[in-house]
Amino acid sequence: MPLLESGVLAADPWRPAAEDEPIGAGDVIVPLARLDEGLARSDPGRLGVLLPPEAEPSALRAALPGLSLIAVTFPIFRDGRAFTQARTLREHLGFTGEIRATGKPLPDQYEFLRRCGVTTVEVPEGTDPAPWAREHARFDVAYQPSILNETREGFALRRIPG
Amino acid sequence: MSDTATRPLPVGHYTYDQVDHDFLRARVEQFRDQVARRISGELSEDEFKPLRLMNGLYHQLHAYMLRVAVPYGTMDARQVRMLAHIARTYDRDYGHFTTRQNIQFNWIRLEDTPEILEQLASVEMHAIQTSGNCIRNVTSDEFAGAAADELVDPRVHAEILRQWSTLHPEFTFLPRKFKIAISGSPHDRVAARFHDIGVVAKPGPDGAVRFEVFVGGGMGRTPIVGVRIHDHLPEEDLLAYLEAILRVYNAYGRRDNIYKARIKILVQALGLDAFREKVEAEFAAMDRARYRLTPETVAAIRARFGTPDLIAPADAPAKLAADRAANPHFDRWARTNTHPHRAPGFICVAVSVKPAGGIPGDATSHQIDALADIAERFSFDELRVTHMQNIVFGHVRQDELLALWHALGEAGLATPNLGLIGDIIACPGLDYCALANARSIPIAQKISARFADPTLQEQIGRIHVNISGCINACGHHHAGHIGILGVDKKGEEFFQITLGGSAEDDAAIGQIIGPALPEDATVDAVARLIETYLTLRQEGERFLDTYRRLGQAPFKDSVYATA
Amino acid sequence: MDVRSNRREQGGSSAITANRLLDGRTVWLGAHGWSEQIAEARVIANTDIEAAIEDARARAAADSVMAIYGVQLLPDTATPEPLTMRERIRAFGPSVHPAFAISPQEGQRHE
Repeated sequence: MPLLESGVLAADPWRPAAEDEPIGAGDVIVPLARLDEGLARSDPGRLGVLLPPEAEPSALRAALPGLSLIAVTFPIFRDGRAFTQARTLREHLGFTGEIRATGKPLPDQYEFLRRCGVTTVEVPEGTDPAPWAREHARFDVAYQPSILNETREGFALRRIPG
Repeated sequence: MSDTATRPLPVGHYTYDQVDHDFLRARVEQFRDQVARRISGELSEDEFKPLRLMNGLYHQLHAYMLRVAVPYGTMDARQVRMLAHIARTYDRDYGHFTTRQNIQFNWIRLEDTPEILEQLASVEMHAIQTSGNCIRNVTSDEFAGAAADELVDPRVHAEILRQWSTLHPEFTFLPRKFKIAISGSPHDRVAARFHDIGVVAKPGPDGAVRFEVFVGGGMGRTPIVGVRIHDHLPEEDLLAYLEAILRVYNAYGRRDNIYKARIKILVQALGLDAFREKVEAEFAAMDRARYRLTPETVAAIRARFGTPDLIAPADAPAKLAADRAANPHFDRWARTNTHPHRAPGFICVAVSVKPAGGIPGDATSHQIDALADIAERFSFDELRVTHMQNIVFGHVRQDELLALWHALGEAGLATPNLGLIGDIIACPGLDYCALANARSIPIAQKISARFADPTLQEQIGRIHVNISGCINACGHHHAGHIGILGVDKKGEEFFQITLGGSAEDDAAIGQIIGPALPEDATVDAVARLIETYLTLRQEGERFLDTYRRLGQAPFKDSVYATA
Repeated sequence: MDVRSNRREQGGSSAITANRLLDGRTVWLGAHGWSEQIAEARVIANTDIEAAIEDARARAAADSVMAIYGVQLLPDTATPEPLTMRERIRAFGPSVHPAFAISPQEGQRHE
């Protein structure tokens, strides 16, 4: 599926692990249940994992050094648990790899995603990137600190979103 | 905008600078874009709904309803006049003040909303987060900065919370709505224990501000009195601690059942100790420096609040005393509708938006304009909306109170019933609301008409009557000394009576006294409850005190023995 | 979609209602499209109502209406009148603002 990064479409070098098949070579995203299997793989390709909304990000603590990507998911766009998961991964676990939003987020949530630490968004085939780009550029100010450690704007809590 | 540099800052609320104005304009453009996408069909109603709700736009029984935020309830006259203009131009010439210190317009067209929001933005107002599963408008004490009993003016921190919660990236898609109230008085006028988070500011031993934090209170289907989770939170940790609470809620709050999704259910399910443990763990793990509320930040926000110059003539109290002695009607109103001010020669005025037989909280554009005029003339250009759906003028000179009363009288706003039985809280009910089971307004009208006599009202004394048209409890019936809940029985309206609730320091949830009654029988039942109280009360007792002393039996008998 | 307190019954008749997308106003499906007046609503036997609602929903986007559902009517009235208080208020306006009300007899707004 196409990917959005910084408001523009980008190529996706990753593939999901196929069910009931060996994980195989290359950059692969495995379900949480197959994380150990993925970590035990001898292939030089990168490993990613899909963190379901109900899972504790801290469950990944030991595995983090072996992970290049963590996918969080929005079963429906109103289910905002992934925002807290992404923030926890960045702030408490110090994860610096790619955090990918999957499922059904809306363009109108794009800045929220980014400010919680999400780097890429998986979007359906044929997605028009224009609304995403528009929301990315929408606001010149934010009113609270975020894990992006943005530059302060003027006074008080204001930040310039990146 | 640019004139803010030369004009004195408005009293009582934060003043926007250019960055704030630009932000609000960008927000209006965003909504204009969303409305256009909806009208073109690009967005379905299901997709559009959460976006419009995030801008306070509901769809009710007859039309769209727009809820405009009044942060901590405070406005200047220019803002109030804009509300009158919107009522006249885009609605049916009236607005409705709500229990969350906001104002609602009931007859709004979707097409008009971007223009309305643009006009609101020109006076530093908006409808951001007045609905949706996000942090709602932060409410505060209606006598903030004025009351004689206040320890800390909570509005600066209310503004800090408003800014912090505005488009918060992590907490805009919570399991359910989230309401925060903040007070700085030992007398709870914000119902701190009935909010998702209630904050009470107080001076610490070193003079610095500390906060008492309550969590998990609320009304609705499952009324719960909030519990104290922190007793002396330092000012610098205010944001970090609230972030920690909200993170725990966002991660663990239920999302499978809308009726069990509020934070109160999570706190109950985990137990306060386990909930606090999770919050403390999050708080301990956070990068606290990032969320630290520095004294410089507090000072920067405070600097954008205007402060009133509270100088009254030395003979102002004497003039007021003479005016009261000369006019018994004025004297009665001054007795019921004022509150002590911290400054000599000043007084706080509470205006009842509850005329006998009227619709609680409804004001015409003419009345809204009159309120703006009076604010300008008598109260440093500032007024407040209260959680009782009334209006407060914070800083009135005692020697000018009589003239203010005359001005109120001309606008039909001098009803002397504050805190009395005519001062009824009622939700919009089935006359407007898509969720309601029964009408709330007609029963409020009948009760206030029945007890219209101001002498009788004063004899009955302080009492809260609260009416909700459904279990969502927007009329706060659980917290009424007398609570009335509308229920639907096979398409007909019935009303359940609860007694003994309170939203104040003695917070309690009212108990149901018996089977639901039809509308007129409910009004008769209220009359019998009052008679019973008047017969049985002891010296100095309010209705609630007598009820608590004697229990339910005599009251229940008075309603059902003859029903 | 909210059809709270609507109480459609097995027998009798119903009218089809919706709200206009642009201004949110309550409308009723009549012989010549959607009308603000319930007096102009088509009275449909409940045996046929589900199919009629289905048809109306299929045209919702083209008609610029939303939240389409059926409303049980009182039997034997001169012009259609809903059974429940909720739907009567939708049809005739808020009971507390006579100035905005539409009377059931005339189907006209009193201003």
